[in-house]
Amino acid sequence: MSANQITRRFSSSNGEGFFSEPPARGNTRRRSRRKKYQLLAWVFMLPFFLVNVLVVLGPSLSTFYYSFTDWSGVGAAHFIGLANFQRLFQDTDFHLAVLYNLIWVAMFLTVPIALGLLGSFLLSQIKRFQLLFRAIYFIPYILASVVNAAIWQQLLDPQQGLASVLDRFNVHILDNVYFLGDKNLALASVAFVDNWHFWGFLVVIFLAAMQSIDTELYNAAMVDGAGRWRQFYHITLPGIRSVLGLALLLVTVWSLLVFEYPFIMTQGGPAGATQVMTLLLYKDAFALNEPGYAAAMGLCVSLLATIVALIFVFLRRKGWER
Amino acid sequence: MGASVAASLLAACGGQANPANIADIVYWYGLDDGSHRAYMQAHDVDAFNKANPNIDVQISFKPEADVDRLIQIALSSGKGPDIVPTPGPSYALQYINSNLFLDLDAYAQQYDWKSKVSGWALDAGRVHNKLYSLPGSYPTLIIYYNKTLFAQKGWTVPTNRQEFESLAAEAMGQGIMPFMAGNADSRGSSEWYTTMFFNHYAGPQAVYQALTGEIPWTDPVFVDAIALLLSYFQKGWFGGGVKQYFTNTFNALDAEFAKGKAAMDVEGSWAFSNWPSYFGPNNSGMDYDWFPIPPLRTGVPQNLYTLGIGYTLSVKASSKVADASAKYLNWLYSTPQRAAQELADINFPPPPIPLNPVDFPSNVDPRVKRHYLALDQASSQGTFGYTTWTFWPPRSDVIAYDSLDKVLSGDLTPAQFCAQMNDTFKQELAQGVVPPIPKGQF
Repeated sequence: MSANQITRRFSSSNGEGFFSEPPARGNTRRRSRRKKYQLLAWVFMLPFFLVNVLVVLGPSLSTFYYSFTDWSGVGAAHFIGLANFQRLFQDTDFHLAVLYNLIWVAMFLTVPIALGLLGSFLLSQIKRFQLLFRAIYFIPYILASVVNAAIWQQLLDPQQGLASVLDRFNVHILDNVYFLGDKNLALASVAFVDNWHFWGFLVVIFLAAMQSIDTELYNAAMVDGAGRWRQFYHITLPGIRSVLGLALLLVTVWSLLVFEYPFIMTQGGPAGATQVMTLLLYKDAFALNEPGYAAAMGLCVSLLATIVALIFVFLRRKGWER
Repeated sequence: MGASVAASLLAACGGQANPANIADIVYWYGLDDGSHRAYMQAHDVDAFNKANPNIDVQISFKPEADVDRLIQIALSSGKGPDIVPTPGPSYALQYINSNLFLDLDAYAQQYDWKSKVSGWALDAGRVHNKLYSLPGSYPTLIIYYNKTLFAQKGWTVPTNRQEFESLAAEAMGQGIMPFMAGNADSRGSSEWYTTMFFNHYAGPQAVYQALTGEIPWTDPVFVDAIALLLSYFQKGWFGGGVKQYFTNTFNALDAEFAKGKAAMDVEGSWAFSNWPSYFGPNNSGMDYDWFPIPPLRTGVPQNLYTLGIGYTLSVKASSKVADASAKYLNWLYSTPQRAAQELADINFPPPPIPLNPVDFPSNVDPRVKRHYLALDQASSQGTFGYTTWTFWPPRSDVIAYDSLDKVLSGDLTPAQFCAQMNDTFKQELAQGVVPPIPKGQF
C-alpha cells in the first residue's frame, strides 16, 4: 500500500476528505502537527531524562568504572582489571551474604505472597468494614521503617518485650529466646518484621486486581457447584496473574536489595548472621575504605537483579501472564 | 547579590583570606548534642577568635554519624574544611597517602609541640617521619564498678586474675551480672574486649611486637588471650551470656548497672559522661567508681592503660589559611586549664597534653580527675598498651570486632580468629597502612 493510498483511505474513512483541504496538504499539516507533538513530548521528557542521567546513569557508570579499580574513596583510582571480581569468588563473607539474600528471597516469595493472596481474597468476600481492614493492613507499610524496627526490637527484647509480658502470666515459653541475638533466629526474625510491614501492600494491590475480575465468572462457578478454593484457583489466580507476576518480580528484586531492616535492627549481626549483600557492601565501602571492591559487589547485586528481571520478561513473552 | 552568593559558596568550600585581612578558618566537627555545641562554640572557638582578631575560626557542626563520610566526599572533590578531624590515625592514613593533609613539622617546631603534646600521641600522627595529624582526645579502657554494691557485698577491687575471677564468680552466684556488656547498639564495641584481653593477658610488649611485625598474631599468647575471653563469655560473666550479649542495649545496661543488677563495666573514658544520668541521689541512689584493668597473666604490668586516640586534627593540604589554622591548633594544645574546665563542665575528654592537679577546676569530678592524672602518668612513664581502634589498620580493626563476634557465636575458634587477624594484618603491613606504633617501657 502506497502512502497516497493510505492518505486517501484515511481521509475518506474519517469523513473529512471531501470537505477539508486537499489531501496532500492536510497530510503535511497532520504530519507536522504529529512532529510537533513528538517534539513536545520529548521536551516534557527532557527534565526527567536529565535527572535520570544525573542520578541513575551517571552513578551507574561510575560504579561500573570503579569496580575495576582499587579506589579507596579518596585520591586516585588505579585500574586493576578483574581483581575485585576474582576476590569476590574467594570472599566467604560475600558467599554467605548471597546465601542470606537467597534465603530472604525464598521467605519473601512465599510468606508475604501467600498472606497477601489470602488476605485479599478474604477481603474481597466481604463488603462491610473492607475499607477499615484495608487501612489496618496498609498502615505498617506507610510507617517509617525506623519506627517499625524500634517497635519490634522492643517486642522481641527478651527482658522488656513479649517474653516479660508472658512471664507475668506465668507463661515461660519465650524465656531465653533471643530472636535478634541468636544467629539461628536472627535472619528469620528480621525478615518477619519486614514481612509484617510489607504484606499489607500486597493485600491492597492483589485486592485491586481481584476487584477487576468479572463477578459473572464467580456466579457461573457457584452455579456449577465450585467451592471457594476452586473459585480462587480457577478464577481469582488466573484473573490476577499479571499483577501476581509483577509482585513476584518486585519482591525478588527488592529482596536482593534489602538493606534497611537488617541495618536498623541487627547491623548485620549477631556474628554476621544477617549480613546480606547490601550490608556487606556498605561495610566494605565505608568501614573498610574499599569502595572499589564494594562497587564490584554492587555490580554483582545488580547483575543478579537483572537476571531475575530477564527471567520474568522471558516468561512474559512466553505468555505466562495470559 | 550574585557576587555575594559566590563569595559565600567559596567560603563554604574552604577558608579564604578575606579583604579585611582576617583569615577565615573553616573547621568541621561531628557533635550532636545542642548544649555541647554551644559550649564548644563559646569556649573553643569564640574565646580564640576574641584573643586573635585577625583570625576567624568558623566551626561547622555535623551529625556525628555522618561527619567522616561528609569529609571524605568533600576532600576527595578538592573541597572541605581547613581543619579536618578524623576518627584516628589509621583513618587519617588514607588522606595522607593521597596528599590531602599538610605536613605539620614546621609548625611543630615553631610552636614546640613536642613539649606540649604527649610524645606517644604526637608520634602516632607521624607517617614517613612527617607529622600530619594531632591527637584530639585519648580515651583508655578501664573498669567502672558499682561502688555502693561493692560496699554492700563486702567486695574489693581485684588486682590480679585470681581476684578478678573470684569476684566474677561470686557476683554470678548471687544473680548479679558481673560485667554489663552488649553490642546490640554498636557491633564495633566488641573490640573493647579484644583490646582488653590482648593487652592485659598477652601484654603490651607482645602487642607491640605483633603491631610492628616482629611476631605473628598466631602466637599462642594471643590465641590463649582470645580463648580466655571466650571462656568468660561462655560462663555468662559478660552480658549474661553470648546470645544476651548480642541483644543487650547500652541504655538498658547502664540502668541495670546503676541499680546494682550488674557489678562492673569494661568501657572507655568516654563513659564518665553517662554516669551522672544514672547514678547519684537523683537517680538510682547508688554510687560508682573505677579501677584499672588488672593483669590477667603473670608478667603483665599493673596499672596498665591501653592508649587510644579518640580523634585527630589535621590541616588540609590546599588550605589557604594553614598558618592561621596551625596557630589555632597550637592554642588548643597550649591551654590545659581550658581543656580541664571543659572536662569538668561537659565531660569533654581533653587532648593528650600534660595535665597537673592545679589545672583542674574545683567543680571537676574527683574520679574523672584521678583518671586523667593516672592516664597522663602512664603515658609519660610508658606503661601503656594499644587500643585496636587506634593502632590497628582498618581491615584488621574490623576483624577485632566482626570476627570476635564469630568466635563468641562458635563460628570461629580462637586460633582461626588469630589466623584471620594475622593474614589481614600482614597484607596491611605490606601496604604501609599500619599507623606508627609508640614503644612503651616494657
